[in-house]
Amino acid sequence: MTVIVSARRSIRWKSWILGGGNTLAAAAFAWPFFVGAVPADAQMAVPIVAFALIPALIVALALTLDREMYTAKTVALLGVLSAVGAAVRIAGAGVGGVEAVFVLLILAGRVYGARFGFLLGLLTIAVSSLLWGGFGPWTPFQMFACGWVGAGAGLLQRWPKATPPTEPARRATAQRWRASLEIALLAAYGVVASYLFGLLMNLWFWPFAVGSGTGISYEAAADPGQNLASFALYSLVTSTLTWDTVRAITTVVGIALVGPAVLAALRRARLNPRR
Amino acid sequence: MFRLRLAPLRAAVVLAVGFVLLRVVYRVVFGGAGVGLDPVLLDLPRLRLDGPFSHMTLFGPITLLGLGNAALSALPVAAVIVFFGLLNAVINVQSLFARGAGRGPLRAISRSLVIAWATFPALLESVRRVRVARALRGERSIASLLVPVFEQTIERALALAASMETRGFAATRAVPGVCEAPVVLTGAGLSFGAGWHLDDLNVTLEPGTLTVIVGATGSGKTSLLHSLSGLFQHFYDGVQTGRIDIAGADRASTPPRDTAGFVGLVAQNVRLGFAAETVHDEIGFTLAVRGVAPPIVHARVLEVAARLKIEHLISRPIEQLSAGEASLVAIAAALVNHPILLLVDEPLADLDQSARARVCTVLGQLAHEAGVCVVLAEHNTHEFAGTADVWLQIRGSRLHQLSPAEFQFADVLEIPALKPIATLPAVPLASIRRLSVRHAADLAVDDVSFEVRAGELIALRGSNGAGKSSLLRAIALPTAADTVIVAGHDVQTLKRRGRRRAVALVPENFDDLLFAITVAEECRRADRGLQLPKFAGTATLFAQLLGFDATTDAAHLLERHPRDLSAGERLCLVIAIQLAARPALLLVDEPTRGLDQAARALVSAALLTAAGHSAAVIFATHDNNFARGLATRTLRMAAGRLSAPIEVLT
Repeated sequence: MTVIVSARRSIRWKSWILGGGNTLAAAAFAWPFFVGAVPADAQMAVPIVAFALIPALIVALALTLDREMYTAKTVALLGVLSAVGAAVRIAGAGVGGVEAVFVLLILAGRVYGARFGFLLGLLTIAVSSLLWGGFGPWTPFQMFACGWVGAGAGLLQRWPKATPPTEPARRATAQRWRASLEIALLAAYGVVASYLFGLLMNLWFWPFAVGSGTGISYEAAADPGQNLASFALYSLVTSTLTWDTVRAITTVVGIALVGPAVLAALRRARLNPRR
Repeated sequence: MFRLRLAPLRAAVVLAVGFVLLRVVYRVVFGGAGVGLDPVLLDLPRLRLDGPFSHMTLFGPITLLGLGNAALSALPVAAVIVFFGLLNAVINVQSLFARGAGRGPLRAISRSLVIAWATFPALLESVRRVRVARALRGERSIASLLVPVFEQTIERALALAASMETRGFAATRAVPGVCEAPVVLTGAGLSFGAGWHLDDLNVTLEPGTLTVIVGATGSGKTSLLHSLSGLFQHFYDGVQTGRIDIAGADRASTPPRDTAGFVGLVAQNVRLGFAAETVHDEIGFTLAVRGVAPPIVHARVLEVAARLKIEHLISRPIEQLSAGEASLVAIAAALVNHPILLLVDEPLADLDQSARARVCTVLGQLAHEAGVCVVLAEHNTHEFAGTADVWLQIRGSRLHQLSPAEFQFADVLEIPALKPIATLPAVPLASIRRLSVRHAADLAVDDVSFEVRAGELIALRGSNGAGKSSLLRAIALPTAADTVIVAGHDVQTLKRRGRRRAVALVPENFDDLLFAITVAEECRRADRGLQLPKFAGTATLFAQLLGFDATTDAAHLLERHPRDLSAGERLCLVIAIQLAARPALLLVDEPTRGLDQAARALVSAALLTAAGHSAAVIFATHDNNFARGLATRTLRMAAGRLSAPIEVLT
């Protein structure tokens, strides 16, 4: 009995840590909007706290998820897929910043679930940054944002298995329909994720990128509405119209092109081997 | 931990300069570059925005001080960027996480990172291989490159996971093993839900014996072997009934990782399962994940290497091993724990004659001198004729235990009679003229010339590394002009489609040519590429090669995922794809690897069909019976050259 109770308790603990950790991380990303609420003397400390919080949260969440991932199959898949992701990311940097890594994160998150998707996002950024030598204060923020892209795909609607029609021709049609519907869902999510990713990455860096004294600058004293408008314009000219749009297009094209085959490959990895 | 690498620093400097410039541009556009009393450099008209953006003004006057201030204000962040570039240039972070992979609270993630690192060379190799396969199939779509690479990567991940699992990765408890009863199956049954099943298994194997599991492709040799290793029950989600005891441990409740101390496994494709970077670390992996002290690991690695006479390989990087050496290293890695039971899956499939003899001897010695219970699954039964003590034959859903005296070897391949071509045409169909292939510093193919006549079936023989595969690939995709002439055309000058009508190659890794999710779609793609009418080409040919009378009889196969077909069926699919262009010359590399007698008969019939289409076939093979039964003549290769004059069999 005690074993069962403690297991349940640890599960509850784990969801608390995951939920709390992700909420805190979201708050750290949005630090510019919280500064106004803090006493004037403490305002200087807010960005520093946010910068320290994100890496600490990555470690905390990684520690929480590590035990769950400690099986040979998960570790091997996680390692190999993050290598593929990093290779895609580095190859993409060579062809004018065409970011195709979301294709992998979304497809793998969809098949193996939110927690796997989250870790895959973290590791893909970690491996590519290590390999390319681009480690910096921005890396933890990228890791979190990519982790959320993978996790979000794992949280998407899973429709229940309908009983397939027995007639072979109609069964094949039904299966094709379901497959196309899934690809459409994932592609739509890819577009949303691409723009949200851009917004998130702009959000924490915006005060640093523009500095003070311009029309779109972040003003600690101004009301949130004005800051929001400034941020919206900053984001629009910085990435939404350019990088994020390219990323959204790449993701949709990638999911449509290789999605069915990659989903099949990932799902077959859980199936029986050839005899 | 420290090393100097300038690229990250350079990138960081570029990034920092870009950052400063961007800050200046923002200030110019959003009205922040007009401070001070300096002379105005440029007076842009102010532009007020409306609505929620009413607090903003675009453009406005620009002063020198304003620009300077903008650049200056960006310097702290730019300095941070350069500082991290410097850290990246100096610190070697990989060596940090390699240390965490053995133990500690982040071992799963650290091990994933180590695997990711080790995957990169394999990934590059995979891309290179698939690009060749893509050229051979005449495909240009992105999917035809990415999907096979991805499939290979997943395959590698699973093989690696299985190999780590059986070597004790993530073990929670070590189960003690009993030497006296290595394998006891009592009323056991195996199944994968519906479909394939094995029933009523009652087998007892003694220590110091060598047992060979035989049966047709798809009969379940590997599944039976893995019901002993535990991967069947705990990794591949198979269902076990009855009781299987491995050295005293109940297999149904004991996962492979907990029996790594006394069960060794050598997987089918040993290279895919290598988890370390050097031969030394690979052999010592089982001990290292158990936390054994490095000096003891080192001593044990040396001991095992001495026993198999592979001491000279110890310091070699893992990717620089030949096929035979890789097999021996994998056997050494499985032996490092002194197992009671050693399981080996198709050890001979990739090896040439001399390596086969070596591996057979080693396995025989382990059983009869060291007292290990050795169990192997194998198609090539003749090699174990003198050493096997027990034969386990799978027929239908039953297992028959036979003594060496009772076991009957499969008959030599029956080849349907060749329709003799009355007179070989005087004009050669193809001529190979002074063909050479250079790999880096080595000459893989050295000045090879020969001629091929229509209707010929030529066997290309030679040991591993003799240059057979390089020669076949160079004939299919020649890089120099006037070296390969087929039906009067210089193949090098032909375009995609024309080249495939002249010569087509089925490479050794034929799976690389497959990238659709159903067989039907694969056939449609091939038809479309060749502009053949729908359902007239590849699918029909595929059904013919498998011996079906009509395409509709193969309908159940057309719905399947190509990689779920059996090895023989997949090879026939790839031959069909390559034959659909009706090439004058068909080249096949190792057509019998891992195939049983029935599948070999299938493939030989397919090759005869190909030769019947007034074309010629050249195939490279290690298989004596197959070559002797099928070939109309034999070419022998050694060290990149055709060694013997052409002999014509009568």
